[in-house]
This record gives sequence, structure tokens and C-alpha cells, in this order.
Amino acid sequence: MKPHLDMNKIALGLRAERKGHVSAGGGYFGAMQLLAEIEARFRVPVGGGRATDPEWTERRLVPLAPRTLKRLEAITEDVRARSGVSVEPMQLAALLLEKTTEQLNEDEVKDLVTVRRRASR
Amino acid sequence: MAKRRKKPARGRLPLKGGRKRVLVVLFVPSVERDGTTPIKQDRWVDAALEMFGRVFGGATAYPKAKGIWRDDERDGVLVKDEPVVVHCYTTPADIEDPGNLAELGSFCRTMGRNARQGEVGLVIGDEYFAIREFSAE
Repeated sequence: MKPHLDMNKIALGLRAERKGHVSAGGGYFGAMQLLAEIEARFRVPVGGGRATDPEWTERRLVPLAPRTLKRLEAITEDVRARSGVSVEPMQLAALLLEKTTEQLNEDEVKDLVTVRRRASR
Repeated sequence: MAKRRKKPARGRLPLKGGRKRVLVVLFVPSVERDGTTPIKQDRWVDAALEMFGRVFGGATAYPKAKGIWRDDERDGVLVKDEPVVVHCYTTPADIEDPGNLAELGSFCRTMGRNARQGEVGLVIGDEYFAIREFSAE
């Protein structure tokens, strides 16, 4: 059960300003973090066009399973509905790819290669 | 003969103030308000852990994250930093205790003042609190 807290008393005791509600839960918080990141990072290019990350200068053709593309489309639709932020499915794919590759450490890469080798025997 | 553990009296909670189910989150910045001058982040993380340990009974500091915030008092310049997020679970009674709140607030103001911040952010339960006035008590 959610504990009832007197937020005005807490703000007064801290000498702080109440700025509003946040969600500190798992999945939803993760989704909000993703939204915040998209809103903070995506900028409309100087010459006009679709908002994108200015650091994304490389372009590659990436093969996808239809179900993956459908999932990306569903997530971006949800992002648009919740926040009004317009993001394309492949922009989301680039963001997810970037985040995942940054999080992978050396050991996890080794494990990945070992699993692939075993599977191809 | 083994001693029997004494049962707590009926209706009385074994721990003072109930279960630790209120999450307090503190963001320890990596740079000053100008976005470029680094601060002694490790020192502030250690100090935060010590304060949370002493006042609320414990805390956990997570590895650095990437963050950004807009400084509206400096023409909306975006300040990028790598904050450390400190999580502390406490009880409703402990977080509403005026003495504990004074210590937590005092720590945030000291950090904000010494590390030259625009704002120190705290999440308590499901609410975000901003401390922007860093004058000493």
C-alpha cells in the first residue's frame, strides 16, 4: 500500500519547493526516462527537416523482422500519444541500439560470442 | 535448553515507525552550474551516504548516469552532467520527522552552495522537491 505522506510538511522541513509528481516505479519510470531523453536530445536540424540527434551522422541499412518493426511502431505511437513527441520507429531503434551498446561490457560481449559459436556448431 | 524468542506484544510493531517503504532519491551532480567545472563528486557521494546512513539507516549510490537540465536563469542554457543517484528507503515516520528533514535539507543546501549548483533535486515518495535557496542556517 502507498504510504500517505504530508508533502507540505516535508517541503517546509526541507525548505524546498514542491515541483510535482514523478513515478519511481520500474517500467513506467523507464519509459519516462526514455521520453525525457528524447525531448532533451532531439533537435530540429539548422536546415529544417525532421528532428533528430545531431550526432547521428552515419546511415546504414538494417534488416529487421516484421514483428520488430511493428513493435517499434507501437512504441513510437505510444510515445506520441503520451507526450506529443514525434519520433520515428527507426530513430527509436537507433536510440535503443546506442543505449544497449553503451551498456554492454567486455564480459558480456565475450559471452555473446561464445553463445553464437556454440549455436553455429 | 534453547531460549525461546520473545514475541512482540499483540498489535505492536517490532520496528519503530513501521517498514521502510518510502523511497528518497538524491541526485549528486558532477559539474558546477556552468556545466564545465567539475566538482568533488566522490566526496559528496560519500558525504550523502554517511548522512543517509546516520539519519535514515542506510542508502545505496548507483554508478554515474548521464543527465541534462535547463538553466532558465541563464537564458535556458542546457547543463550536461553525469550525476550519481543515491537511493534511500525509510519509514513514513522518519521522513516526516522535523529533525531528520532539517538534516537532509541542510545537507542539500551545503552541497548546493559549495558545489555552486542552480538546484539540488530530491524525490521523496512520488514527489520531486527542488532546493534552490542555499543560504546557511
